Amino acid sequence: MALHVPKAPGFAQMLKDGAKHFSGLEEAVFRNIRACKELSQTTRTAYGPNGMNKMVINHLEKLFVTNDAATILRELEVQHPAAKMIVMASHMQEQEVGDGTNFVLVFAGALLELAEELLRMGLSVSEVIEGYEKACKKTLEILSDCVCSSAKNLHDINEAKSLIRTAVMSKQYGNEDFLANLIAEACVSIFPESGNFNVDNVRVCKILGCGVTASSMLHGMVFKKEAEGDITSVKDAKIAVFSCPFDCMVTETKGTVLINNAQELMDFSKGEEDLMEANVKAIKEAGATVVVTGGKVADMALHYANKYKLMVVRLNSKWDLRRLCKTVGAVALPKMTAPTPDEMGRCDGVYLTEVGDTQVVVFKHDKEDGAISTVVIRGSTDNLMDDIERAVDDGVNTFKVLVRDNRLVPGGGATEIELAKQITSYGESCPGLEQYAIKKFAEAFEALPRALAENSGVKGSELISKLYSGHHEGNKNMGFDIESDGPAVKDMLEAGILDPYLVKYWGIKLATNSAITVLRVDQIIMAKAAGGPKAPKQRGHWDKDGWDEEPDNFETHH
Amino acid sequence: MDAADRCEQIISLLTLSSCLPVSPSLLQPTPVILLKEGTDTSQGIPQLISNINACQVISEAVRTTLGPRGMDKLMVDSRGKATISNDGATILKLLDVVHPAAKTLVDIARSQDAEVGDGTTSVTLLAAEFLKQLKPYVEEGLHPQTIIRAFRTATNLAVSKIKEIAVSVKKDDKQEQRELLEKCAATALNSKLIAGQKDFFSKMVVDAVMSLDELMSLKMIGIKKVQGGALEESQLVSGVAFKKTFSYAGFEMQPKRYENPKIALLNVELELKAEKDNAEVRVKSVEACGGSIQTSVGAMTNDVLGQCELFEEVQVGGERYNFFKGCPKAKTCTIILRGGAEQFTEETERSLHDAIMIVRRAIKNDSVVAGGGAIEMELSKYLRDYSRTIPGKQQLLIGAYAKALEIIPRQLCDNAGFDATNILNKLRAKHAQGGMWYGVDINNEDIADNFVACVWEPSIVRINALTAASEAACLILSVDETIKNPRSSVDGPPGGAGRGRGRGRPHAH
Repeated sequence: MALHVPKAPGFAQMLKDGAKHFSGLEEAVFRNIRACKELSQTTRTAYGPNGMNKMVINHLEKLFVTNDAATILRELEVQHPAAKMIVMASHMQEQEVGDGTNFVLVFAGALLELAEELLRMGLSVSEVIEGYEKACKKTLEILSDCVCSSAKNLHDINEAKSLIRTAVMSKQYGNEDFLANLIAEACVSIFPESGNFNVDNVRVCKILGCGVTASSMLHGMVFKKEAEGDITSVKDAKIAVFSCPFDCMVTETKGTVLINNAQELMDFSKGEEDLMEANVKAIKEAGATVVVTGGKVADMALHYANKYKLMVVRLNSKWDLRRLCKTVGAVALPKMTAPTPDEMGRCDGVYLTEVGDTQVVVFKHDKEDGAISTVVIRGSTDNLMDDIERAVDDGVNTFKVLVRDNRLVPGGGATEIELAKQITSYGESCPGLEQYAIKKFAEAFEALPRALAENSGVKGSELISKLYSGHHEGNKNMGFDIESDGPAVKDMLEAGILDPYLVKYWGIKLATNSAITVLRVDQIIMAKAAGGPKAPKQRGHWDKDGWDEEPDNFETHH
Repeated sequence: MDAADRCEQIISLLTLSSCLPVSPSLLQPTPVILLKEGTDTSQGIPQLISNINACQVISEAVRTTLGPRGMDKLMVDSRGKATISNDGATILKLLDVVHPAAKTLVDIARSQDAEVGDGTTSVTLLAAEFLKQLKPYVEEGLHPQTIIRAFRTATNLAVSKIKEIAVSVKKDDKQEQRELLEKCAATALNSKLIAGQKDFFSKMVVDAVMSLDELMSLKMIGIKKVQGGALEESQLVSGVAFKKTFSYAGFEMQPKRYENPKIALLNVELELKAEKDNAEVRVKSVEACGGSIQTSVGAMTNDVLGQCELFEEVQVGGERYNFFKGCPKAKTCTIILRGGAEQFTEETERSLHDAIMIVRRAIKNDSVVAGGGAIEMELSKYLRDYSRTIPGKQQLLIGAYAKALEIIPRQLCDNAGFDATNILNKLRAKHAQGGMWYGVDINNEDIADNFVACVWEPSIVRINALTAASEAACLILSVDETIKNPRSSVDGPPGGAGRGRGRGRPHAH
């Protein structure tokens, strides 16, 4: 009747009450794998042109309708620590190349799924990891052999368009030609000879109404603002930019003015008016026709601006002001003084116009020499426009990636199957136990064309066998023909469906790394969430990755 | 011994469970928690169907408001304010829809409102009908992307067909243009509360818009509501009118009427130096009259003073109004609405807003089509004919699109209490024989050539409605999963009840 047999304290006893602890293959590794699989299952149906959209409502009740994996994940708020790692990998991909986020998720998911099979077969975790690492290294070597073409001249709109098209296709299937054209024009027009391409220089302005096909692109900038004064349109404008309010100077020090009689009072206010008039006059005489200010516009100043026929535009955002300076080549003046000719920017037209029922101020260049171009997106719902904006972002990022590395690999699953084929034969040449892992690594590549096919309602296995037979005949550009009804294949190079080399390179690398990291974990210890019912607080534990700033900011006040 | 054994068993069980507070997870596999607690996800075809059903419910709400015989809705918001309207956008806005998919319909109504101002009910109805027609195909397992592709093709075809058959009116001929505008305004007003006075108001609206400058800024048309009087007593002031706000002592001594006054527009207090001005009226900011707003009284020169032909103060209903009429550089006008109940004048204002928007669109795009379901029937016929020329699934889908277009004339008939099937049959027959502009004749329970009957609409209204409706339908179709995060709010964790968006949970319909 040993009621108090002293037991060796278990691991759980050493921790605080409520802490969770999982260890070993069954509890930790498989659980992690299951979580990651579940996650990749969610985004898998969004992969490719025929992928379905997801409706995500985030904790602020904002609605997102998208098939962009990065956005879905950001708004999903994944909680599971292992799944979080894959999310991070996909986020890295977003930062590195801006596209192919879903590729990372699907591939990592497939790697883990197959790893589970290997582990159940009896392989040890380290053998799987070793095999995966070897295979990954080999894959990245082979990948450069898969390059089938390269971008020759990115200053050519038509060429840029055909390259961007694939990226846009996966987001906005059906509108890809139209959007790719806009994006290509926008990118090429701001792509300097020096080869320094900045993604920020392609701006997007969303205006509700009409349809997607009414979207347009222009050189210069568009602001959803109204002109302050009476002048609403200036041709061939000289622009003075002020970062300060368009108002008289307020002195830092306090002074006392003694006024003895009415005349002095009159003179006092008159003096102020005269000074303002002189100021505005000086700006006008310096040649400026448009004044842009970052602060308030005083009534008095506006009155004189109208008198001297100056168009006044007010921008609230400092960034907008800076970008505008860049576009028109102006220097932002911190004080309301007359600008020198160098400090003024110029622009072919500044005008107020109405798009839908929104008033916009347009700073337009006729020639393609501006530093910034704007894509004006029209659409019938806000969600749709947001989604198109993401497609534009992806397109612009693709262009950026191509500027860095102009090599291209065939899309539509062609590269993946080619890699799978070659890695399988590589695996067979390896003597050790890692052979199994290498072969599974190759098999994981099949997940991508399979997802493409299944999303289009085509049997995945049928397509993959067709692809393999095509590749064994030596045609390594054979990919899935998305436009046909059945599991048809065609030459991706001829169809113009090409992905940048870097997207695939980083995608494979990041996915493998994250899968390996997840596999390496054999214990999970979770501290009890602090602070009782305040559930959101616990996000602080796993969540300190600093990239979803918005929700964090939101939390801080309670 | 037996008892002791059992006792030990129990105790060991007890100790087990007390030393391992997470024991359930060890004894039985716990579900892997991937997302935040309270996150609601639903996916797959049931989810899609549920979204479609939700949209249907929304369209039911506005269905009966379509057309001249449509009924109005009375809505009372949370603050107890009553609104009577038959404007789709207004109704949907007040409904405060929370369902994410149904919200899309509200969005397109807003978009239509922003882009063309009228046709908000039609656009909602069309989108919902598209979805309704597609529901069986989705249920049968047709891939949504195939449907979307077919719909995009159909929309492009329909839009180019509208452009092709639209009748454009020459801009040079002022008389003809005016007629066109009046007819468009009349068609828009036809379906509103003030349909009885449509001739009166369509004239007024066209006058108002014509007096504007190139930009045709909507802000330059002021609408003032004065309770009391009859609708016909409403008037258009070419210039500015506003309620007398404030005047200084001694004002009553001043004459109430000036001819050809010079006006100083000030937005400073007129305290110190008062004698210079014609009438001591404090005006906040009036952009008419060609005068610029003065901040200083110091530099009062002739060119900053505005002019107008007539200033007078008049009693309108219970209020005294100041009028500035006949301004030489006038690019502005004011409509003074009279009428009984507050809700009534408000609805009149919304109707006039719609009509003004329509006129503005018609000036910018001078092509028109016949309303009353005529254009929809013609498009429907065109697409049905087209669908027969193509093989494959697209044929069925474009056919479904064509069928969905018939909802507009059908609903017009239903709302008027006509036998919709009968009239639709007549219309189909007529269109097949080439009667391009035949639509529903609301007055005679028959069909008529609506182009001759002068039921005209700017083609841009229809183009936008079709684009928006099909974009919305495609958007809803392309969603196969909804993930809802719990709302992070200060008052504790949310009840995970995802507001009736569960897996295929039926919606009231």
